[in-house]
Amino acid sequence: MSSSTAMTAMNLRFQKDSLCMQDPRQNLAVEIDALHKWYGAFHVLKGIDLRVAHGSRIVICGPSGSGKSTLIRCLNGLEAYRQGTIMLDGTRLGEDAVQTALARRQTGMVFQNFNLFPHLSVLANCTLALRRVAGMARTEAEALAHHYLEKVRIPEQAHKYPAQLSGGQQQRVAIARALCMSPRLMLFDEPTSALDPEMIREVLDVMTELAHDGMTMICVTHEMGFAREVADEVVFMDQGSIVEQAVPATFFSAPSHPRARNFLSTLLH
Amino acid sequence: MSMFDIWSGILGGFRITASVTLYGLIFAVPFALVFGVAQYLTTGFARFLVTSVIEFWRSSAVVILLFVFYYALPVVGVTLSAMTVGAMVLGLNTAGYASQAVRAGLQALDRGQKEAGQALGLSRAAILLLIELPQALRAMSPTFINLVIQLVKATSLVSLITLTDMTFRAKEIAQVEYDPVPVYLALLLSYFMVCYPIALFGRWVERSVNPVREASRGI
Ligand SMILES: Nc1ncnc2c1ncn2[C@@H]1O[C@H](COP(=O)(O)OP(=O)(O)OP(=O)(O)O)[C@@H](O)[C@H]1O
Ligand SMILES: [Mg+2]
Repeated sequence: MSSSTAMTAMNLRFQKDSLCMQDPRQNLAVEIDALHKWYGAFHVLKGIDLRVAHGSRIVICGPSGSGKSTLIRCLNGLEAYRQGTIMLDGTRLGEDAVQTALARRQTGMVFQNFNLFPHLSVLANCTLALRRVAGMARTEAEALAHHYLEKVRIPEQAHKYPAQLSGGQQQRVAIARALCMSPRLMLFDEPTSALDPEMIREVLDVMTELAHDGMTMICVTHEMGFAREVADEVVFMDQGSIVEQAVPATFFSAPSHPRARNFLSTLLH
Repeated sequence: MSMFDIWSGILGGFRITASVTLYGLIFAVPFALVFGVAQYLTTGFARFLVTSVIEFWRSSAVVILLFVFYYALPVVGVTLSAMTVGAMVLGLNTAGYASQAVRAGLQALDRGQKEAGQALGLSRAAILLLIELPQALRAMSPTFINLVIQLVKATSLVSLITLTDMTFRAKEIAQVEYDPVPVYLALLLSYFMVCYPIALFGRWVERSVNPVREASRGI
Protein backbone atom coordinates (compact mmCIF):
# COMPACT_ATOMS: atom_id res chain seq x y z
CA MET A 1 0.00 0.00 0.00
CA SER A 2 1.50 3.33 -0.97
CA SER A 3 1.85 6.00 1.67
CA SER A 4 -0.70 8.26 0.02
CA THR A 5 -3.33 5.54 0.01
CA ALA A 6 -2.67 4.97 3.69
CA MET A 7 -3.06 8.68 4.31
CA THR A 8 -6.31 8.71 2.42
CA ALA A 9 -7.63 5.79 4.42
CA MET A 10 -6.63 7.53 7.61
CA ASN A 11 -8.31 10.72 6.50
CA LEU A 12 -11.42 8.79 5.72
CA ARG A 13 -11.57 7.13 9.13
CA PHE A 14 -10.92 10.45 10.79
CA GLN A 15 -13.75 12.00 8.85
CA LYS A 16 -16.19 9.24 9.71
CA ASP A 17 -15.35 9.68 13.40
CA SER A 18 -15.90 13.40 13.32
CA LEU A 19 -19.01 13.49 11.20
CA CYS A 20 -20.84 15.87 13.52
CA MET A 21 -17.94 18.24 14.05
CA GLN A 22 -18.34 21.63 12.43
CA ASP A 23 -14.76 22.39 11.43
CA PRO A 24 -14.79 21.95 7.65
CA ARG A 25 -11.05 21.20 7.67
CA GLN A 26 -11.91 17.79 9.05
CA ASN A 27 -13.46 16.94 5.71
CA LEU A 28 -11.74 15.97 2.55
CA ALA A 29 -11.77 18.64 -0.15
CA VAL A 30 -13.36 16.21 -2.58
CA GLU A 31 -14.76 12.78 -2.03
CA ILE A 32 -16.22 10.96 -5.00
CA ASP A 33 -17.93 7.62 -4.45
CA ALA A 34 -19.05 5.17 -7.14
CA LEU A 35 -19.88 7.94 -9.60
CA HIS A 36 -21.73 6.87 -12.74
CA LYS A 37 -22.91 8.99 -15.62
CA TRP A 38 -24.55 8.24 -18.92
CA TYR A 39 -25.03 10.34 -22.04
CA GLY A 40 -28.16 8.66 -23.33
CA ALA A 41 -27.13 5.02 -23.65
CA PHE A 42 -23.43 5.85 -23.53
CA HIS A 43 -21.83 5.02 -20.18
CA VAL A 44 -19.27 7.86 -19.77
CA LEU A 45 -18.25 7.48 -16.14
CA LYS A 46 -18.19 3.94 -14.82
CA GLY A 47 -17.90 4.02 -11.05
CA ILE A 48 -15.33 6.69 -10.24
CA ASP A 49 -13.88 6.77 -6.72
CA LEU A 50 -11.54 9.61 -5.86
CA ARG A 51 -10.44 11.28 -2.66
CA VAL A 52 -8.65 14.59 -2.59
CA ALA A 53 -7.32 16.03 0.67
CA HIS A 54 -7.15 19.76 1.26
CA GLY A 55 -4.02 21.26 -0.22
CA SER A 56 -3.25 18.37 -2.55
CA ARG A 57 -2.77 18.54 -6.29
CA ILE A 58 -4.20 15.90 -8.56
CA VAL A 59 -3.39 15.63 -12.24
CA ILE A 60 -5.85 13.69 -14.39
CA CYS A 61 -4.70 12.40 -17.74
CA GLY A 62 -5.84 9.85 -20.25
CA PRO A 63 -6.75 9.41 -23.90
CA SER A 64 -9.31 11.61 -25.64
CA GLY A 65 -12.88 10.63 -24.82
CA SER A 66 -11.97 8.86 -21.61
CA GLY A 67 -14.29 11.10 -19.57
CA LYS A 68 -11.82 13.53 -17.98
CA SER A 69 -13.79 16.68 -18.82
CA THR A 70 -17.05 15.01 -17.84
CA LEU A 71 -15.63 14.08 -14.44
CA ILE A 72 -14.25 17.52 -13.71
CA ARG A 73 -17.48 19.19 -14.89
CA CYS A 74 -19.48 16.98 -12.53
CA LEU A 75 -17.40 18.41 -9.68
CA ASN A 76 -18.91 21.87 -9.97
CA GLY A 77 -22.35 20.87 -11.13
CA LEU A 78 -21.94 21.76 -14.81
CA GLU A 79 -22.95 18.16 -15.54
CA ALA A 80 -25.54 16.22 -13.60
CA TYR A 81 -24.67 12.68 -12.58
CA ARG A 82 -26.96 9.71 -12.24
CA GLN A 83 -25.46 7.51 -9.56
CA GLY A 84 -22.99 7.85 -6.73
CA THR A 85 -22.05 10.80 -4.55
CA ILE A 86 -19.79 13.80 -4.74
CA MET A 87 -18.91 15.49 -1.46
CA LEU A 88 -17.20 18.86 -1.61
CA ASP A 89 -15.73 19.73 1.76
CA GLY A 90 -18.38 17.62 3.47
CA THR A 91 -21.32 18.98 1.51
CA ARG A 92 -23.09 16.67 -0.86
CA LEU A 93 -23.30 18.18 -4.32
CA GLY A 94 -26.74 18.10 -5.90
CA GLU A 95 -28.70 17.24 -2.78
CA ASP A 96 -29.90 20.67 -1.72
CA ALA A 97 -29.82 23.65 -4.05
CA VAL A 98 -28.64 26.13 -1.42
CA GLN A 99 -25.84 23.91 -0.13
CA THR A 100 -24.83 23.09 -3.68
CA ALA A 101 -24.64 26.76 -4.61
CA LEU A 102 -22.46 27.40 -1.56
CA ALA A 103 -20.20 24.46 -2.31
CA ARG A 104 -19.96 25.61 -5.88
CA ARG A 105 -19.06 29.14 -4.89
CA GLN A 106 -15.97 27.69 -3.21
CA THR A 107 -14.90 25.99 -6.43
CA GLY A 108 -13.11 27.83 -9.23
CA MET A 109 -13.01 26.52 -12.79
CA VAL A 110 -10.62 27.25 -15.63
CA PHE A 111 -11.69 26.12 -19.10
CA GLN A 112 -9.70 24.99 -22.10
CA ASN A 113 -10.90 27.92 -24.22
CA PHE A 114 -10.83 30.52 -21.43
CA ASN A 115 -14.52 31.53 -21.69
CA LEU A 116 -13.82 35.13 -20.77
CA PHE A 117 -16.74 37.51 -21.23
CA PRO A 118 -15.82 39.34 -24.46
CA HIS A 119 -18.08 42.33 -23.81
CA LEU A 120 -16.42 43.15 -20.48
CA SER A 121 -12.97 44.53 -19.76
CA VAL A 122 -10.44 42.33 -17.99
CA LEU A 123 -11.20 44.12 -14.74
CA ALA A 124 -14.96 43.77 -15.18
CA ASN A 125 -14.51 40.05 -15.96
CA CYS A 126 -12.82 39.72 -12.58
CA THR A 127 -15.22 41.87 -10.56
CA LEU A 128 -18.54 40.65 -12.02
CA ALA A 129 -19.06 37.76 -9.61
CA LEU A 130 -17.50 39.63 -6.68
CA ARG A 131 -20.13 42.30 -7.06
CA ARG A 132 -23.13 40.20 -8.11
CA VAL A 133 -22.54 37.05 -6.10
CA ALA A 134 -20.43 38.17 -3.15
CA GLY A 135 -22.18 41.56 -3.04
CA MET A 136 -18.91 43.44 -2.71
CA ALA A 137 -18.66 47.21 -3.28
CA ARG A 138 -17.04 48.36 -6.49
CA THR A 139 -13.81 49.80 -5.09
CA GLU A 140 -13.24 46.80 -2.87
CA ALA A 141 -13.90 44.39 -5.74
CA GLU A 142 -11.54 46.28 -8.03
CA ALA A 143 -8.79 46.28 -5.43
CA LEU A 144 -9.13 42.51 -5.06
CA ALA A 145 -9.18 42.02 -8.84
CA HIS A 146 -6.01 44.10 -9.18
CA HIS A 147 -4.38 41.96 -6.51
CA TYR A 148 -5.07 38.75 -8.45
CA LEU A 149 -4.18 40.29 -11.82
CA GLU A 150 -0.82 41.13 -10.30
CA LYS A 151 -0.54 37.58 -9.06
CA VAL A 152 -0.99 36.25 -12.60
CA ARG A 153 1.41 38.98 -13.79
CA ILE A 154 -0.83 41.09 -16.00
CA PRO A 155 -1.83 44.08 -13.86
CA GLU A 156 -1.23 46.42 -16.81
CA GLN A 157 -3.94 44.76 -18.94
CA ALA A 158 -6.82 45.51 -16.56
CA HIS A 159 -8.62 47.92 -18.86
CA LYS A 160 -8.23 45.99 -22.08
CA TYR A 161 -10.83 43.67 -23.56
CA PRO A 162 -10.21 39.91 -23.87
CA ALA A 163 -9.93 40.09 -27.68
CA GLN A 164 -6.93 42.39 -27.30
CA LEU A 165 -4.93 39.85 -25.30
CA SER A 166 -2.86 36.84 -26.34
CA GLY A 167 -4.17 33.37 -25.52
CA GLY A 168 -1.75 32.99 -22.63
CA GLN A 169 -2.79 36.33 -21.19
CA GLN A 170 -6.47 35.44 -21.58
CA GLN A 171 -5.99 32.19 -19.71
CA ARG A 172 -4.19 34.01 -16.93
CA VAL A 173 -7.11 36.45 -16.69
CA ALA A 174 -9.43 33.44 -16.45
CA ILE A 175 -7.33 32.12 -13.56
CA ALA A 176 -7.41 35.52 -11.84
CA ARG A 177 -11.17 35.72 -12.37
CA ALA A 178 -11.65 32.36 -10.65
CA LEU A 179 -9.25 33.25 -7.82
CA CYS A 180 -11.18 36.45 -7.07
CA MET A 181 -13.97 34.36 -5.56
CA SER A 182 -11.46 32.89 -3.05
CA PRO A 183 -12.13 29.28 -4.02
CA ARG A 184 -10.87 26.47 -1.83
CA LEU A 185 -10.66 24.14 -4.80
CA MET A 186 -9.52 24.96 -8.32
CA LEU A 187 -10.49 22.83 -11.31
CA PHE A 188 -8.57 23.07 -14.58
CA ASP A 189 -9.73 21.39 -17.78
CA GLU A 190 -6.77 21.28 -20.19
CA PRO A 191 -5.91 24.92 -19.48
CA THR A 192 -2.97 24.97 -21.89
CA SER A 193 -4.10 22.81 -24.79
CA ALA A 194 -5.58 25.74 -26.76
CA LEU A 195 -2.34 27.69 -26.45
CA ASP A 196 0.71 28.13 -28.65
CA PRO A 197 3.80 26.46 -27.17
CA GLU A 198 5.46 29.74 -26.17
CA MET A 199 2.43 30.70 -24.06
CA ILE A 200 2.05 27.37 -22.26
CA ARG A 201 4.97 28.14 -19.95
CA GLU A 202 3.51 31.41 -18.61
CA VAL A 203 0.23 29.71 -17.69
CA LEU A 204 1.95 26.70 -16.12
CA ASP A 205 4.16 29.05 -14.08
CA VAL A 206 1.10 30.72 -12.63
CA MET A 207 -0.44 27.32 -11.85
CA THR A 208 2.77 26.10 -10.23
CA GLU A 209 2.88 29.18 -8.03
CA LEU A 210 -0.72 28.56 -7.05
CA ALA A 211 0.19 25.00 -6.10
CA HIS A 212 3.08 26.24 -3.95
CA ASP A 213 0.63 28.57 -2.18
CA GLY A 214 -1.22 25.45 -1.03
CA MET A 215 -4.29 25.61 -3.27
CA THR A 216 -6.20 22.37 -3.69
CA MET A 217 -6.10 21.66 -7.42
CA ILE A 218 -7.50 19.11 -9.81
CA CYS A 219 -6.00 19.55 -13.27
CA VAL A 220 -6.81 17.70 -16.41
CA THR A 221 -3.62 18.16 -18.40
CA HIS A 222 -1.17 16.36 -20.61
CA GLU A 223 1.70 18.59 -19.51
CA MET A 224 3.73 15.82 -17.94
CA GLY A 225 6.49 18.17 -16.79
CA PHE A 226 3.93 20.03 -14.74
CA ALA A 227 2.53 16.77 -13.37
CA ARG A 228 6.01 15.58 -12.31
CA GLU A 229 6.77 18.90 -10.65
CA VAL A 230 3.60 19.73 -8.74
CA ALA A 231 1.25 16.74 -8.60
CA ASP A 232 0.81 14.73 -5.43
CA GLU A 233 -0.95 12.09 -7.44
CA VAL A 234 -1.51 11.31 -11.09
CA VAL A 235 -4.82 9.77 -12.04
CA PHE A 236 -4.99 7.93 -15.35
CA MET A 237 -8.44 7.48 -16.88
CA ASP A 238 -9.48 5.25 -19.73
CA GLN A 239 -12.95 4.52 -21.07
CA GLY A 240 -14.74 6.08 -18.12
CA SER A 241 -12.73 4.45 -15.34
CA ILE A 242 -9.71 5.33 -13.26
CA VAL A 243 -7.29 2.58 -14.22
CA GLU A 244 -4.22 3.86 -12.40
CA GLN A 245 -3.59 6.27 -9.55
CA ALA A 246 -0.09 6.84 -8.24
CA VAL A 247 2.48 9.39 -7.11
CA PRO A 248 4.21 10.92 -10.16
CA ALA A 249 7.52 9.12 -9.56
CA THR A 250 5.78 5.76 -9.72
CA PHE A 251 3.41 6.69 -12.49
CA PHE A 252 6.16 7.88 -14.82
CA SER A 253 8.82 5.31 -14.06
CA ALA A 254 6.77 2.17 -13.58
CA PRO A 255 3.14 2.48 -14.66
CA SER A 256 1.51 -0.80 -13.78
CA HIS A 257 -1.38 -0.76 -16.22
CA PRO A 258 -0.59 -1.57 -19.88
CA ARG A 259 -2.94 1.15 -21.14
CA ALA A 260 -1.14 3.73 -19.00
CA ARG A 261 2.21 2.50 -20.36
CA ASN A 262 0.84 2.73 -23.85
CA PHE A 263 -0.50 6.25 -23.24
CA LEU A 264 2.82 7.47 -21.82
CA SER A 265 4.75 6.11 -24.77
CA THR A 266 2.45 7.93 -27.23
CA LEU A 267 2.96 11.17 -25.29
CA LEU A 268 6.72 10.84 -25.55
CA HIS A 269 6.65 10.48 -29.32
CA MET B 1 -49.56 73.56 -56.05
CA SER B 2 -45.81 73.93 -56.02
CA MET B 3 -43.54 71.03 -55.18
CA PHE B 4 -42.82 72.79 -51.91
CA ASP B 5 -46.52 73.04 -51.01
CA ILE B 6 -47.03 69.37 -51.75
CA TRP B 7 -44.08 68.46 -49.66
CA SER B 8 -45.01 70.58 -46.65
CA GLY B 9 -48.52 69.17 -46.91
CA ILE B 10 -47.12 65.65 -46.66
CA LEU B 11 -44.84 66.60 -43.78
CA GLY B 12 -47.97 67.74 -41.93
CA GLY B 13 -48.51 63.99 -41.41
CA PHE B 14 -45.03 63.47 -40.01
CA ARG B 15 -46.19 63.80 -36.41
CA ILE B 16 -48.63 60.89 -36.85
CA THR B 17 -46.06 58.74 -38.65
CA ALA B 18 -43.54 59.42 -35.91
CA SER B 19 -46.10 58.79 -33.15
CA VAL B 20 -47.21 55.44 -34.57
CA THR B 21 -43.55 54.44 -34.89
CA LEU B 22 -42.64 55.46 -31.33
CA TYR B 23 -45.77 54.01 -29.71
CA GLY B 24 -45.21 50.93 -31.87
CA LEU B 25 -41.74 50.59 -30.38
CA ILE B 26 -43.23 50.82 -26.89
CA PHE B 27 -45.18 47.66 -27.76
CA ALA B 28 -42.38 46.06 -29.75
CA VAL B 29 -39.34 46.31 -27.48
CA PRO B 30 -40.74 44.65 -24.33
CA PHE B 31 -42.62 42.02 -26.34
CA ALA B 32 -39.55 41.10 -28.40
CA LEU B 33 -37.32 40.85 -25.33
CA VAL B 34 -39.77 38.92 -23.17
CA PHE B 35 -40.90 36.51 -25.86
CA GLY B 36 -37.45 36.03 -27.42
CA VAL B 37 -35.98 35.21 -24.01
CA ALA B 38 -38.97 33.04 -23.09
CA GLN B 39 -38.60 31.03 -26.27
CA TYR B 40 -34.90 30.57 -25.49
CA LEU B 41 -35.48 29.44 -21.91
CA THR B 42 -38.66 27.37 -22.09
CA THR B 43 -39.20 23.82 -23.29
CA GLY B 44 -42.17 21.59 -23.99
CA PHE B 45 -45.68 22.96 -23.63
CA ALA B 46 -44.60 26.37 -22.29
CA ARG B 47 -42.42 26.81 -25.34
CA PHE B 48 -45.31 25.81 -27.60
CA LEU B 49 -47.48 28.54 -26.04
CA VAL B 50 -44.77 31.18 -26.40
CA THR B 51 -44.14 30.18 -30.00
CA SER B 52 -47.87 30.30 -30.79
CA VAL B 53 -48.17 33.89 -29.58
CA ILE B 54 -45.08 34.92 -31.55
CA GLU B 55 -46.32 33.19 -34.69
CA PHE B 56 -49.75 34.82 -34.42
CA TRP B 57 -48.23 38.30 -34.54
CA ARG B 58 -45.51 37.44 -37.01
CA SER B 59 -47.53 35.50 -39.54
CA SER B 60 -50.82 37.40 -39.67
CA ALA B 61 -51.32 39.97 -42.40
CA VAL B 62 -50.96 43.41 -40.87
CA VAL B 63 -53.73 44.98 -42.98
CA ILE B 64 -56.23 42.39 -41.84
CA LEU B 65 -55.25 42.77 -38.18
CA LEU B 66 -55.66 46.55 -38.47
CA PHE B 67 -59.19 46.11 -39.84
CA VAL B 68 -60.12 43.45 -37.31
CA PHE B 69 -58.93 45.42 -34.32
CA TYR B 70 -60.29 48.75 -35.53
CA TYR B 71 -63.58 47.83 -37.16
CA ALA B 72 -64.56 44.42 -35.78
CA LEU B 73 -63.69 44.68 -32.07
CA PRO B 74 -66.15 47.52 -31.42
CA VAL B 75 -68.90 45.08 -32.46
CA VAL B 76 -68.08 42.99 -29.37
CA GLY B 77 -67.83 46.09 -27.22
CA VAL B 78 -64.07 46.74 -27.29
CA THR B 79 -63.23 50.13 -28.73
CA LEU B 80 -59.61 51.11 -29.19
CA SER B 81 -58.39 54.37 -30.69
CA ALA B 82 -56.92 54.24 -34.18
CA MET B 83 -53.53 55.23 -32.73
CA THR B 84 -53.64 52.38 -30.21
CA VAL B 85 -54.65 49.84 -32.84
CA GLY B 86 -52.01 51.06 -35.30
CA ALA B 87 -49.20 51.10 -32.74
CA MET B 88 -50.17 47.74 -31.27
CA VAL B 89 -50.62 45.83 -34.52
CA LEU B 90 -47.53 47.23 -36.23
CA GLY B 91 -45.47 47.11 -33.05
CA LEU B 92 -46.31 43.51 -32.21
CA ASN B 93 -45.86 42.38 -35.80
CA THR B 94 -42.36 43.87 -35.78
CA ALA B 95 -41.80 42.36 -32.34
CA GLY B 96 -42.62 38.93 -33.74
CA TYR B 97 -39.63 39.25 -36.05
CA ALA B 98 -37.45 40.91 -33.43
CA SER B 99 -38.14 38.16 -30.89
CA GLN B 100 -36.64 35.67 -33.33
CA ALA B 101 -33.52 37.82 -33.59
CA VAL B 102 -33.30 37.89 -29.78
CA ARG B 103 -33.67 34.10 -29.57
CA ALA B 104 -31.21 33.44 -32.39
CA GLY B 105 -28.71 35.83 -30.83
CA LEU B 106 -28.93 34.00 -27.51
CA GLN B 107 -28.68 30.58 -29.11
CA ALA B 108 -25.65 31.58 -31.15
CA LEU B 109 -23.57 32.34 -28.05
CA ASP B 110 -20.89 29.87 -27.09
CA ARG B 111 -22.14 27.47 -24.42
CA GLY B 112 -18.97 28.28 -22.48
CA GLN B 113 -20.29 31.77 -21.69
CA LYS B 114 -23.15 30.41 -19.63
CA GLU B 115 -20.91 27.77 -18.06
CA ALA B 116 -18.31 30.36 -17.03
CA GLY B 117 -21.11 32.31 -15.35
CA GLN B 118 -22.36 29.20 -13.57
CA ALA B 119 -18.87 28.30 -12.44
CA LEU B 120 -18.56 31.77 -10.88
CA GLY B 121 -21.77 31.16 -8.95
CA LEU B 122 -23.96 33.64 -10.83
CA SER B 123 -27.70 32.97 -10.81
CA ARG B 124 -29.49 32.06 -14.04
CA ALA B 125 -31.09 35.52 -14.14
CA ALA B 126 -27.73 37.24 -13.65
CA ILE B 127 -26.17 35.13 -16.41
CA LEU B 128 -28.99 36.10 -18.76
CA LEU B 129 -28.95 39.81 -17.92
CA LEU B 130 -25.22 40.42 -17.51
CA ILE B 131 -23.61 37.90 -19.86
CA GLU B 132 -25.96 36.53 -22.49
CA LEU B 133 -28.32 39.41 -23.36
CA PRO B 134 -25.65 42.12 -23.69
CA GLN B 135 -23.76 39.97 -26.18
CA ALA B 136 -26.83 38.80 -28.07
CA LEU B 137 -28.33 42.28 -28.40
CA ARG B 138 -25.04 43.71 -29.62
CA ALA B 139 -24.66 41.01 -32.24
CA MET B 140 -28.24 41.59 -33.37
CA SER B 141 -28.18 45.39 -33.42
CA PRO B 142 -28.07 45.61 -37.27
CA THR B 143 -31.18 43.42 -37.42
CA PHE B 144 -33.01 45.62 -34.91
CA ILE B 145 -32.24 48.76 -36.91
CA ASN B 146 -33.57 47.02 -40.03
CA LEU B 147 -36.77 46.26 -38.19
CA VAL B 148 -37.21 49.86 -37.00
CA ILE B 149 -36.86 51.06 -40.59
CA GLN B 150 -39.40 48.46 -41.69
CA LEU B 151 -41.73 49.66 -38.96
CA VAL B 152 -41.51 53.26 -40.17
CA LYS B 153 -42.44 52.18 -43.68
CA ALA B 154 -45.21 49.91 -42.45
CA THR B 155 -46.86 52.83 -40.63
CA SER B 156 -48.14 53.95 -44.05
CA LEU B 157 -50.85 51.30 -43.53
CA VAL B 158 -52.45 53.26 -40.70
CA SER B 159 -53.91 55.60 -43.31
CA LEU B 160 -56.39 52.74 -43.83
CA ILE B 161 -57.78 53.24 -40.32
CA THR B 162 -58.31 57.02 -40.62
CA LEU B 163 -55.00 58.24 -39.19
CA THR B 164 -53.70 61.28 -41.08
CA ASP B 165 -50.10 60.20 -41.46
CA MET B 166 -47.80 61.17 -44.34
CA THR B 167 -49.38 58.63 -46.69
CA PHE B 168 -52.90 59.81 -45.83
CA ARG B 169 -51.86 63.40 -46.57
CA ALA B 170 -50.35 62.38 -49.88
CA LYS B 171 -53.54 60.60 -50.90
CA GLU B 172 -55.56 63.71 -50.03
CA ILE B 173 -53.27 65.96 -52.04
CA ALA B 174 -53.25 63.53 -54.95
CA GLN B 175 -57.03 63.78 -55.10
CA VAL B 176 -57.02 67.56 -55.57
CA GLU B 177 -53.96 67.64 -57.82
CA TYR B 178 -54.41 66.21 -61.29
CA ASP B 179 -50.91 64.77 -61.45
CA PRO B 180 -50.16 62.16 -58.77
CA VAL B 181 -46.53 61.67 -59.88
CA PRO B 182 -44.92 64.62 -58.02
CA VAL B 183 -47.07 63.85 -54.97
CA TYR B 184 -45.87 60.28 -54.65
CA LEU B 185 -42.31 61.28 -55.48
CA ALA B 186 -42.48 63.72 -52.60
CA LEU B 187 -43.90 60.98 -50.38
CA LEU B 188 -41.08 58.64 -51.35
CA LEU B 189 -38.56 61.32 -50.48
CA SER B 190 -40.30 61.98 -47.15
CA TYR B 191 -39.98 58.35 -46.03
CA PHE B 192 -36.39 58.31 -47.17
CA MET B 193 -35.69 61.41 -45.11
CA VAL B 194 -37.06 59.68 -42.02
CA CYS B 195 -35.41 56.31 -42.58
CA TYR B 196 -31.95 57.32 -43.71
CA PRO B 197 -31.05 59.07 -40.43
CA ILE B 198 -32.20 55.93 -38.60
CA ALA B 199 -29.85 53.87 -40.75
CA LEU B 200 -27.00 56.27 -39.98
CA PHE B 201 -27.88 56.17 -36.30
CA GLY B 202 -27.84 52.36 -36.52
CA ARG B 203 -24.33 52.36 -37.92
CA TRP B 204 -23.19 54.64 -35.14
CA VAL B 205 -24.82 52.38 -32.54
CA GLU B 206 -23.15 49.34 -34.06
CA ARG B 207 -19.75 50.97 -33.84
CA SER B 208 -20.19 52.24 -30.31
CA VAL B 209 -21.50 48.98 -28.82
CA ASN B 210 -18.51 47.06 -30.08
CA PRO B 211 -15.70 48.64 -28.09
CA VAL B 212 -13.35 45.73 -28.74
CA ARG B 213 -13.36 46.02 -32.48
CA GLU B 214 -13.05 49.80 -32.21
CA ALA B 215 -10.18 49.70 -29.80
CA SER B 216 -8.26 47.02 -31.64
CA ARG B 217 -8.51 49.01 -34.84
CA GLY B 218 -6.40 51.64 -33.12
CA ILE B 219 -3.51 49.28 -32.44
N1 LIG C 1 -22.95 16.32 -24.22
C1 LIG C 1 -22.57 15.10 -24.62
N2 LIG C 1 -23.46 14.27 -25.19
C2 LIG C 1 -23.09 13.03 -25.59
N3 LIG C 1 -21.85 12.54 -25.47
C3 LIG C 1 -20.92 13.32 -24.92
C4 LIG C 1 -21.22 14.64 -24.47
N4 LIG C 1 -20.09 15.18 -23.97
C5 LIG C 1 -19.14 14.25 -24.10
N5 LIG C 1 -19.61 13.13 -24.67
C6 LIG C 1 -18.87 11.90 -24.92
O1 LIG C 1 -18.41 11.42 -23.70
C7 LIG C 1 -17.10 10.92 -23.81
C8 LIG C 1 -16.20 11.56 -22.79
O2 LIG C 1 -16.09 12.94 -23.11
P1 LIG C 1 -15.11 13.90 -22.33
O3 LIG C 1 -15.25 15.23 -22.94
O4 LIG C 1 -15.33 13.78 -20.88
O5 LIG C 1 -13.71 13.27 -22.69
P2 LIG C 1 -12.24 13.80 -22.38
O6 LIG C 1 -11.55 12.72 -21.65
O7 LIG C 1 -12.32 15.13 -21.72
O8 LIG C 1 -11.61 13.92 -23.81
P3 LIG C 1 -10.66 15.05 -24.45
O9 LIG C 1 -9.27 14.68 -24.06
O10 LIG C 1 -10.87 14.89 -25.91
O11 LIG C 1 -11.10 16.37 -23.92
C9 LIG C 1 -16.67 11.15 -25.25
O12 LIG C 1 -16.79 9.93 -25.94
C10 LIG C 1 -17.65 12.16 -25.76
O13 LIG C 1 -17.90 11.93 -27.13
MG1 LIG D 1 -11.84 17.12 -22.36
